Formats: sequence, C-alpha cells, structure tokens
Amino acid sequence: MARHFNNNLEQQQAPAFFVRGPSAMARLAFFSVLSLALMAADSRLQYLLSVRQTLQTLLHPLQILANAPSQLYRDAGEYFSTHDYLLSENKHLKQHALQQDIALQKLNTLALENEHLRQLLEANKTIVQTSVAAEIMHVGRDLFSRKIIVNRGGSHKIAAGEAVVDATGVIGQVTRVYPLTSEVTLITDKSLAIPVQIERNGLRAIAFGHGRDNTLDLPYLPANVDIRRGDRLVTSGIDGVYPTGLSVATVSKIGITPDSPFAHIICAPTGGVENHRQVLVVRMPNIEVQAEAELAPTLVLKAIDAQKAVKESPVKLEAKQKKPAQLNHMSKQHVHE
Amino acid sequence: MYTNKLKSIYLSILLALICLLLPWSGFALTMRPDFMLLVIIFWLIRAPNLCNVGTAWFVGLFVDLATGGIFGQYALAYTITAFFAVSYQKRLVLFNGTQQLFYVFILLFISQVSLLIIKTFAGAQFMGWTYFLPSISGVLLWFIAVMFGLDVGGRSRGN
Repeated sequence: MARHFNNNLEQQQAPAFFVRGPSAMARLAFFSVLSLALMAADSRLQYLLSVRQTLQTLLHPLQILANAPSQLYRDAGEYFSTHDYLLSENKHLKQHALQQDIALQKLNTLALENEHLRQLLEANKTIVQTSVAAEIMHVGRDLFSRKIIVNRGGSHKIAAGEAVVDATGVIGQVTRVYPLTSEVTLITDKSLAIPVQIERNGLRAIAFGHGRDNTLDLPYLPANVDIRRGDRLVTSGIDGVYPTGLSVATVSKIGITPDSPFAHIICAPTGGVENHRQVLVVRMPNIEVQAEAELAPTLVLKAIDAQKAVKESPVKLEAKQKKPAQLNHMSKQHVHE
Repeated sequence: MYTNKLKSIYLSILLALICLLLPWSGFALTMRPDFMLLVIIFWLIRAPNLCNVGTAWFVGLFVDLATGGIFGQYALAYTITAFFAVSYQKRLVLFNGTQQLFYVFILLFISQVSLLIIKTFAGAQFMGWTYFLPSISGVLLWFIAVMFGLDVGGRSRGN
C-alpha cells in the first residue's frame, strides 16, 4: 500500500505554478560558459571590436544625459563668476600670451635656422606633428585600470596609438577609438610603458606605470646609475609615438638595496593626470615613412641585395655570405659614429 | 500587472545604468555602490518569475560595456551572484530586515570577490582593501531604500 502510494507520488509532476524552466544550476553553467567564451573572443581574438563600437555609440546619448547635471553645474558656475575674477584672469592670460609670443618669435627663427643647418648636413627634415584638442568626459569606471574618456573619436580622425598631452606634460596614449569618444590609457596605468630620457644627462630608460598609486617606475637601471632626486624625465621620441622633449615625470624617490643589482626609482608624473579637463591628442604623421628614412638608404639597398642573393641561389650562398658580414660591420661603424 | 512589473524592471535597470554612467571620480569612484547589481538582486528577490540568472548576465554585459573592460567579466560575476540569490530566494523572503540586509551584503561581496578573481586572471593587480568599500556602500543604499519604503517582500514588509 505504502509502496503504491510512493509510486503515485513519483509519477506526479510539479504543478505548472512552480515551473520555472531550467534549474538555477543549469543556467549558471550555461551563462558562465557563455561569459568565458566572450572573454576569450574579446581579449585573445579581438572579434568584438565592431560590436563594442556600435553598442558604445548607442550608449552615447545616455552618457550625455548622465553628464548633464555636472555640466550644468559647471556652466552655471561659469555664468555666475564674478567680474573681478574675470578681469584678473584676463590680465593674467594677456601677460601669459605676451610671454609666449616672445618665445614663439624665438622659436620661429630657431626653427628656420635648424632647418637650414639640417639642409647643410643633408639630414632628414624633422617632423611637424598635428594635434586635436579634446575635453575629458569622465574618468574610466574600471577601478583596476587608469583610463579617461575624451570627447573626440573616430569621426574626428583620431586613431589608436596617438599620444595625449596637456599643458604640463604627457598624460597618456589613445588605446581605443569609438565613433564619438575615445579611451585614453594614462601613463600611470600598469600596462603602459613610455620611452624617456633624463633631461640632465640624456640617459635613456623606459618608464612603466605603477598601477596602484599615481606614480611611475623606472626599472632595469643599475644601482650605480646617475640619477638624482628631482631629475626631470622627458620623452625621448625614439618610439615614434610621443614627440621629443615633452615633460613626463620628475624623480621623487630612489631606493638602493644591497641585495638587488637594480635601483628602485619612483617618479611622479608632471602632467595633470587627474586634474585637467582639456587635453591635446598629438598625431605623429607617417610613422612608417619616418622609420624608413632614419635608416641610411644605402644600407637598406645593400641589405635587400643580400637577401635577394640568398633567395636566388643557395649554391652561391657561401660566396655572398661576406656581404651580410660587411653590412654588419658597416652598421656597427654607423652606430659608433 | 504583469506588463507593469516588466516595465518597472526595465525602467529601474535604465536608471541604474544612468547612475553608473554619472561622472564619478576620485574617492566617490572608490565608494560607488554597484547600482546595477543592487537592482538585479532586488528583482531576483521580488519577482523571481520575471528575473533570473540570464537577466543578471545580460545586465552584466552592459556594465562591461560601460566600464570598457573585456566583455564577459562583469557578466560572469553577476551570473555567479544571481545563482546564489536565486537558490536561496525562497528562504530570503522569510528573513526579517536585518537578516536580509546581511544576506544582500554577502551577495555584493560574492560578486566583488568573483570579479577580483576574474580580473586577477586577466593580469590586474589587487588595489588594497578599499576595493571592498562598494559592498558596504551598497548595503547602506539598500538600507536607506528600505527605510524610505522600498517593498522588498516577505517579513520585512512591516508586520
């Protein structure tokens, strides 16, 4: 009897009232796998770039709506700023402009002179970079990375990889471009490295973002390196991304431990990484052309010749092998000069 | 009734998204409660027939988009959190106010821990204990909302 009753119970199905589709466990498994697949597709295979761009454009009106209150507050503040403040600011700006005019006149003559001297030396012309002014919309929302979003994007001809500077120094590099906005990774981000030069003695190094706080690291420099506290780091420009000579950071702390062959150097960025609103996106024109032009043309030709020879006839390989060796020798000489 | 509830779900998610998109910076950014997750947890408790693990996943995708990280990170963290919320939903309705508050804190904490693990796998660095502040601010927000008459359902309804 009891067995019969049990059988009856087992045959009963749950009433439709309680049916909720697949169990929570099944859903968890399904959506976890889906998320993992998305992560792989996005980070390793870069399939989702266009999807992200489209969705970001759709999100743009919402973003503007969310920015509206703070924008309104700032505009109202500007509107109600006092007469005295405007007068003093105007005076200050005029003075500043005058000083910069004088410096600019000097710069023009120096540029002309520099060009002339370069012509005499038959050297390559220096590159004139163009720039686009942009305004910071908001700080990146991801707590794990240091990014900002600016209000210029693909429709303003901004491309990924361009340098971003403000009045006091380099602040970062464009890493992602959306149609109307773009994402700038700050130099303090852990994933960004920037080639620098110490202004005092011209020593070249690479500065890495520290990630956690607002500092930069200068790793891989020996403990006896000639660096003092207060040294200014400027961009070396050998990367073809950042223009030469822009201020990046000042050395704030040097730690030398006896058990490590490397000095532990910490620098503070000079650019207002977190407190300016206006920035410039600087474009280095024709990076590829510049890279080719920097090699001596004859050396390139010879290298191509040597490659052709190797491809054409494996039998003649031995005879031609002297040429690459010669080439190596020549390039070494070139470096020494 | 049914469509009304659906409408209010969508509207609340949209509002939470706008809250997320506000230009937070500095300490406010560190303190910012996870609006989207709070809204999802609320609907998971309140309307389990309309809102499920899949909803949480979908909302997580929007958060991924807004934060600009790799797609699927927040989605996975929200999915895991929603799983715990759904599997204890029937018990949760019987909890009183304080117990519910504690449970919401645990849920927020779970989402943060899973996100931290995912991000660490992707190469990020742990930034210190201030990372867990949003859980606390989130629970505070929940508490304030309940104080102002948000009906979470169950015993906390006031009797």
